[in-house]
Amino acid sequence: MEQRSLGFSVFLYASALLLAVLILAPFAWLFIMSISSTTDLISKPLRWWPAQADWSRYRVLTDLTPNTHGAALMSALKNSVLVAAIATLAALAVSVPTGWALSRSRAVNWSLGLVIGTYMLPPVALAVPLYMGLAALDLLNTRFGLAVVYLTILAPFTAWLLKSGFDPIPRDIELAAAIDGARLDQTLRILILPLAAPVIGTAALFAYLLAWDEFFYALLFTSDQRAKTVTVAIADLAGGRVADYGLIATAGVIAALPPVLFGLLMQRTLISGLTTGSVKG
Amino acid sequence: MSTLDLIGIGKSYGATEVLRSIDISLASGEFLVLLGASGCGKSTLLNVIAGLLSPTTGEIRIDGKRVNEVHPKDRDVAMVFQSYALYPNLSVRRNIGFGLEMRGVPRARRDEAVARVARMLQIDGLLDRKPAELSGGQRQRVAIGRALVREPKIFLFDEPLSNLDAKLRMEMRAEIKHLHRLLATTVVYVTHDQIEAMTLATRIAVMNNGAIEQIGSPEDIYRRPATVFVASFVGAPPMNLIEATWDGRGLHLDGSGQTLALPAPDAAPRPVTLGVRPEDLRLADPADELAIAATVDFAELTGPDRIVFSRLAGVPILASLPPHSHVTADEQVRLTFSKRDMHLFDRGSGKRIDIPLRPVA
Repeated sequence: MEQRSLGFSVFLYASALLLAVLILAPFAWLFIMSISSTTDLISKPLRWWPAQADWSRYRVLTDLTPNTHGAALMSALKNSVLVAAIATLAALAVSVPTGWALSRSRAVNWSLGLVIGTYMLPPVALAVPLYMGLAALDLLNTRFGLAVVYLTILAPFTAWLLKSGFDPIPRDIELAAAIDGARLDQTLRILILPLAAPVIGTAALFAYLLAWDEFFYALLFTSDQRAKTVTVAIADLAGGRVADYGLIATAGVIAALPPVLFGLLMQRTLISGLTTGSVKG
Repeated sequence: MSTLDLIGIGKSYGATEVLRSIDISLASGEFLVLLGASGCGKSTLLNVIAGLLSPTTGEIRIDGKRVNEVHPKDRDVAMVFQSYALYPNLSVRRNIGFGLEMRGVPRARRDEAVARVARMLQIDGLLDRKPAELSGGQRQRVAIGRALVREPKIFLFDEPLSNLDAKLRMEMRAEIKHLHRLLATTVVYVTHDQIEAMTLATRIAVMNNGAIEQIGSPEDIYRRPATVFVASFVGAPPMNLIEATWDGRGLHLDGSGQTLALPAPDAAPRPVTLGVRPEDLRLADPADELAIAATVDFAELTGPDRIVFSRLAGVPILASLPPHSHVTADEQVRLTFSKRDMHLFDRGSGKRIDIPLRPVA
């Protein structure tokens, strides 16, 4: 190990600590808010630490009685899970073949640039055409309709990510498989997809998070519990005459849980280095 | 047991010609080595035979049947890649059996075939490992095993030994030679290593610039190089090439004023290149007429030989002499050779000129 001065070590640990605090502080504050009483939250000066932990809002928001905040949030959670899942699966289905093709034939790489270029457009520019399109297809305020809109956002991103994931897989493996008699689908299924599993997992994770966090289109294209997603439902909590900040914070904590679980689940596929040993050591 | 015919194969990318009118005819069981420097088109030619590339012109025939339009998997060829191209996510067993698996061979017969090949290559203890857990030499064996197990019509090797260290390379070379003797399958083998070419081939095709310079037995290639390129490419240390003018009086070595008593059949002077291999040179006796006088730079003892680096009017002359030969730096030496061992090439075309060997006077 290299020699390090004490000052440098202090600097290093201080930087790491600062980064951790910056990342965790908002979430910690969100959680503290969710268990603080309303009096604590509106008192001046602000009380940073609740006098007593108040878990009642978690009960309110998981209460499934119709026409309550709880029912609204839970149905929104379900919508979000489904919309994000459909959009992610569809995006992978589209972008795995696309990414592979882009990775293997340099001739069509310009199209990727074009697709990424559409990312530069502000979402609002596409809002009206998308709205009219969904209306024409009778898909407004449906989970499927929203998932289709998300697909248009996710697919270019995942295709680009997967292309860079396929790039390091040696072309020779495919040639060898071709000589060995493998059909295209067999090559993809038995060899390429398992080798690209880490990057496919990463793509799925990011796509899911992107869809989960989306607010703008969800707000525009959904109108009630049949399709409203959790981001819109949280905004609804703030929409009344009295905004219960504690309730909003609690909804935020609940909304953060599914992606965290999904992330933990996908973490196992994110291990890389699977291609070592294919070509010379 | 298959024949392979390449008829007028050409391959170009736009205006760039990578292969030009390649004609090769292989009898069943031949071991052809495509020898050349990198970029000469030898790997391209191998890929054309495998079906991974389509030739721009010409025809490929396996067992007399045109296969230009046949997909690689239906050509019944097996290829060993320079990078091995093992399937990293599959076990050694499945790697070797992959070709059979894809062809729908039942599990039991497949396992049996894999076990047989693994025994032959002494990798039967490694069948459950992944390629990443193998050493370079073991990976090489798996790659060869994958090709062997299918019992293809033709084996294609693309510089299979270039990633191995010298000792392992020698072992694997011997093993490939042994396998070829055992199986007698037709082989096309690409390499830039002339020792591999000389030891393995029944025939060598020396390639340069997308064309075949010479095709012949290793003996032919070495003893009777058809062009200056072949002469300079094959042999280590390389053949001495001395520019000269050849006329009715003899062979005048350019720049040095020396003349060898070797009159041309025609009186008209002709620019030629004289070639003599270092091992065909020896220190001359005063009686030797056919001799070159050169100045010694230095000498190196390699063990079996003493390589003498000398100069003739600026042109380096290498002589591989017996280890006990005594030469010193800056000494003038006379190096002689037999007429049988010399080569003459036309300087314009680079082609070999057959020297009329008149009865020794």
